[in-house]
Amino acid sequence: MQKKISKVKNKNVQMVKAYILDTLAWAYIALVSYKVLYDRIYIENRYPEFTWKQPLYALYFGLAAAALLFFTNFSLGRGSFGLIKIKDDESATTKPFAFIGYLLIILTFVTGFYVSQVSLKEFFSAQGLEGAKRIFTALFHPNWSIFEQGLFAAIETIYMAFIATAIAIPIAFLLGFLAARNLMTGNPVGFFIYTALRTVLNVSRSIEPLVWAIIFSVWVGIGPFSGMLALCLHSIASLTKQYSEQIESVDDGPIEAMTATGAHPVQVVWFGVVPQIVLPYLSYTIYRWDINVRMATVIGLVGGGGIGNLLMQYQGQARWNEVGLLVILIAVIVWTMDWASSVIREALK
Amino acid sequence: MLEIKNLNKVYPNGYHALHNINFSVPQGEFLVVIGLSGSGKSTMLRCINRLHDPTGGEILFNGVDTTKLKGSALRKIRSEIGMIFQHFNLIPRSSVMANVLSGNLSRTGILKSIFGVYSAEEKERAMKYIDIVGLRGKEKNRADNLSGGQQQRVAIARALMQNPKILLADEPVASLDPATSHSVMQYLKKVNEELGVTVICNLHFLSLVRQYAHRVVALKAGKLIYDGKPLEINEEWFKTIYGEDAVEVTIN
Repeated sequence: MQKKISKVKNKNVQMVKAYILDTLAWAYIALVSYKVLYDRIYIENRYPEFTWKQPLYALYFGLAAAALLFFTNFSLGRGSFGLIKIKDDESATTKPFAFIGYLLIILTFVTGFYVSQVSLKEFFSAQGLEGAKRIFTALFHPNWSIFEQGLFAAIETIYMAFIATAIAIPIAFLLGFLAARNLMTGNPVGFFIYTALRTVLNVSRSIEPLVWAIIFSVWVGIGPFSGMLALCLHSIASLTKQYSEQIESVDDGPIEAMTATGAHPVQVVWFGVVPQIVLPYLSYTIYRWDINVRMATVIGLVGGGGIGNLLMQYQGQARWNEVGLLVILIAVIVWTMDWASSVIREALK
Repeated sequence: MLEIKNLNKVYPNGYHALHNINFSVPQGEFLVVIGLSGSGKSTMLRCINRLHDPTGGEILFNGVDTTKLKGSALRKIRSEIGMIFQHFNLIPRSSVMANVLSGNLSRTGILKSIFGVYSAEEKERAMKYIDIVGLRGKEKNRADNLSGGQQQRVAIARALMQNPKILLADEPVASLDPATSHSVMQYLKKVNEELGVTVICNLHFLSLVRQYAHRVVALKAGKLIYDGKPLEINEEWFKTIYGEDAVEVTIN
């Protein structure tokens, strides 16, 4: 009897979810049809106005359309939650509700093209091709006279990436243990630290190093220091997540064995956990170094120092031959780093 | 030396793994625990050294109730109880010597152990135990370069480093071939008879039980249903312990 009641309750929840899905789908179709198909394409309104009334009316439309079609085979919601019967030899992709789904996808593509201002006209226009010719010829005729300048900037970039990674490693190593669910969630204090740390790390990771560089360039001034700090912070956040995930997936066996000898918890971690994670750690660390070098090359664009700084200067002056040389240098740096890291990874296996 | 009284274990999800287990183990005995997979053998063994926490009952190890201990008192008791596992649980990329030395962690300072600084006396003792399990000459080999049987012997040497009063063996030969199983059981017997260590061992094969055990206890669905001599397990008892359809498989 209990099972039957919970089954019915479940079905009701599913029905509600299906109706919500239907409403949202039709509201989206209405809004997009009006804003994109009608406003932009049909009457070519260059500066369409926006009021909050528009999504509101779309929502009303959605509620009505969803209600009307809810009990037919055109209900995307019911189909998605498995509430429409599908015979054995039929496939869900040919049923009527699937076509509402296809409509959604097509509308989204159309919207996407218009919002991204995709225009084959621009791409192939006379002006456009002129500009393309200009930049590509310049890139293929690099100005070697600034090679020395570029070289020193490249060296600055490489060392910046190295220091950022090197400082991040020990910090992430320690934080990794604090962010590992299997080590921290035994007691309330540990759980609090774990949750707080994870939140801070997630936020830090969501902000790209380029943005961090802008923040730091205001704090410590433009130059390699701000770039290094930005890379370091992001690396710590990223590495801590990777490290902690490794710790969470260790085998229990060695941990049990060390605990059984009466070892202190620190020793249990050092002998039971650490040997299992060393190789994946090294792998992720080298991967991180790789990424940092790439990012270091462009972090100068926002005031981070290194070769990106030079790139920004010459780009601002539209001196494309110089930019060409810098692009080549950047490619060489990244390519060499790629090769070096794969060699090291092979050697570790 | 070891007394188990009314041991009960209920898992957080409600599964009642052990029901009122009662038995005692005198010093120097070689006790074997048998029973179907899932009958609670591993759980019971792990309750003895608190790898699992019992939910009720007492475990008296030389008069001290291990179920109530915490922190350094618990670690001290654990250092007197050695344990070996079905999957050996060694540190694969470390040498045999390093693995055996890790048995002594309870007596080695934290910093010293992290930097690998062990005294000459510790290294000598480790060598002695490596010798006892017949692995002299292999102490510098990486643990994962050894065969299964050899790895289990390293595990035994590691447990011996603790100078344990009791050795718990959780299905030590379940991953090994018949000949190697006998070899490892022989070493356990040697440890029991020559070093006087009490052994409690979970096994699957009755032929091994008959050959090595002084006494047998059998678990079924978390309850203790047999406590007696190995040779007294006749066909009727066999069917009771392992079920109506069970057929004995011997390994020679």
